[in-house]
Amino acid sequence: MQLTGKSKAALIIGLLPAFLIYTVFAIYPIFQSFYYSFMEWDGFSEMEFIGLQNFENLFQDTLFWNSVGNNIFVVIASVFGQIPIALFIALLLNRKIKGLKIFRTIGFLPVVLSTVVISLTWSLIYNTKNGMINEILRAVGLDFLAQNWLGDTKWSMVAVCITVIWQFVGLYLIIFLAALQNIPEEVMEAAKMDGASEWVTTWKITIPMIWDTIIVAIILCISGSLRTFDLIYVMTHGGPSHSTDVMALYMFNETFSNLKYGYGSAISVFIFFFSLILIGIVKKVLGQKFI
Amino acid sequence: MSVKNTLIYAVLIIFSVINVYPIIWMIINSFKSEKEFAVNQFGLPKTLVIDNYIEAWGTANLGVLFKNSIFICLLATILTVLIGALASYFLARIEFKFKNALYTFFIFGMLIPIHATLVPMFILLKNLGLLNNPITLLFPYIAFHLPITIFILTSFMKAFPKDIEESAIIDGCGIFRIFWSIILPMSRPALATVIILNFIYNWNEFSFALVLLNDPALQTLPLGLASFAGQFTVNYGAQMAGLTMSMIPIIIFYLFLEKEIVNGMTAGAVKG
Repeated sequence: MQLTGKSKAALIIGLLPAFLIYTVFAIYPIFQSFYYSFMEWDGFSEMEFIGLQNFENLFQDTLFWNSVGNNIFVVIASVFGQIPIALFIALLLNRKIKGLKIFRTIGFLPVVLSTVVISLTWSLIYNTKNGMINEILRAVGLDFLAQNWLGDTKWSMVAVCITVIWQFVGLYLIIFLAALQNIPEEVMEAAKMDGASEWVTTWKITIPMIWDTIIVAIILCISGSLRTFDLIYVMTHGGPSHSTDVMALYMFNETFSNLKYGYGSAISVFIFFFSLILIGIVKKVLGQKFI
Repeated sequence: MSVKNTLIYAVLIIFSVINVYPIIWMIINSFKSEKEFAVNQFGLPKTLVIDNYIEAWGTANLGVLFKNSIFICLLATILTVLIGALASYFLARIEFKFKNALYTFFIFGMLIPIHATLVPMFILLKNLGLLNNPITLLFPYIAFHLPITIFILTSFMKAFPKDIEESAIIDGCGIFRIFWSIILPMSRPALATVIILNFIYNWNEFSFALVLLNDPALQTLPLGLASFAGQFTVNYGAQMAGLTMSMIPIIIFYLFLEKEIVNGMTAGAVKG
């Protein structure tokens, strides 16, 4: 529809609320982060401009790099845990199977639960004294395997990642299932007529046909796991001894517990670019246009 | 049934059990006394102990938390969808300069990691005098969910036939009249999707609530539960009862709207 003079006013009325609230509360804060990242500031007294000092300190901060490393661990565990499991289950479900709807409903359930509820539930499951996992191990006579899952630096990260994987497998399962069900029947029929085995059909036809969806899922998975915060904040608060610290959590603690607003903002800026660059690289490598 | 089919069902059942058992385990044990939980963790409760529920409801202040969550969730969802639908209408149906640039500008929001905005958001709302206000959370919730809302609604509205507005204009309809009486009703399926998505996001959101609300009287459910569990680490029964109660609304919501939710999540996932 073309605009007339009167509808130009309407255009402004229509777009202004969204534009204003989005710009002020989503875009402006990102730029504010840049600004604060050049300051030394405790949030109360006068700000002091210190140039790139925060970033220099950041690059020498071993605890920060530890959180980056842990964050990458979460990303890798998520991509290699969630995507293959989800794809495998989706392929199993994508045949004329009874109870498809029930399996789908159950599979997706964890995705709608709040991360806080999931974190607290799994903290109870991992509990040393009477958590479900240790109880099962004791019941089958494997007492020696019982651990303080979240309290032992050897296991804490693994325990956290298992919960992350559990929480989001369902999301990718549903995405893959939707893609699989969009493959035209004729393609599958033709492969069957040519005598291709199911194994060959899956690898040579089905997977290539949903490859774009797999890439989208991988990108979603990476950007999602880079943002991990709530789950670890509630389950371990980054401990024991920083073994589960991730970037967002380190930023949060530096800012709000140690009152280093400038330094925290520098970490925010790092998170922002790190996410954009990583997503960009992955898209490039896997052959998709950036944004 | 062939061996292969048996195997497939076995795998699917194992997957389902792993998916749902942690929740069932918690619900079942929320009805056991501390003593029974210690000795009989995997069986059904011998008698239903409701004390856990009474205690959790009282100590965690669940009534207040539920009220706060419902208030902020409904208001944020309604406003996001209204503002977002209006913007989507202009972005999808009307030609104007910089339209594509503006659309990209909105969609870019999906790439912003919200944790990178926590510090400035806290300071911004503090400067606006809006910290610890019942409507504080509205601002970040609307701002950060507009991108996905606009993305889904715009793609949906774009698909309508081109001449819809023309006959309405001949009939003397104004631009907002067309939006309200023609485009909105036609967008119902997509509106359902974004309403549900917004509701789930807002209901579960934690980070902004953590940073922007200190007053216990204003806390939302996820925030209140986290501090409740932190303070009462020993009373497992009450913790499990509190978690169960907080989960029930969203599980019912999910079971009723499963199809829509799944469609919405898939639509939202196409572009992250």
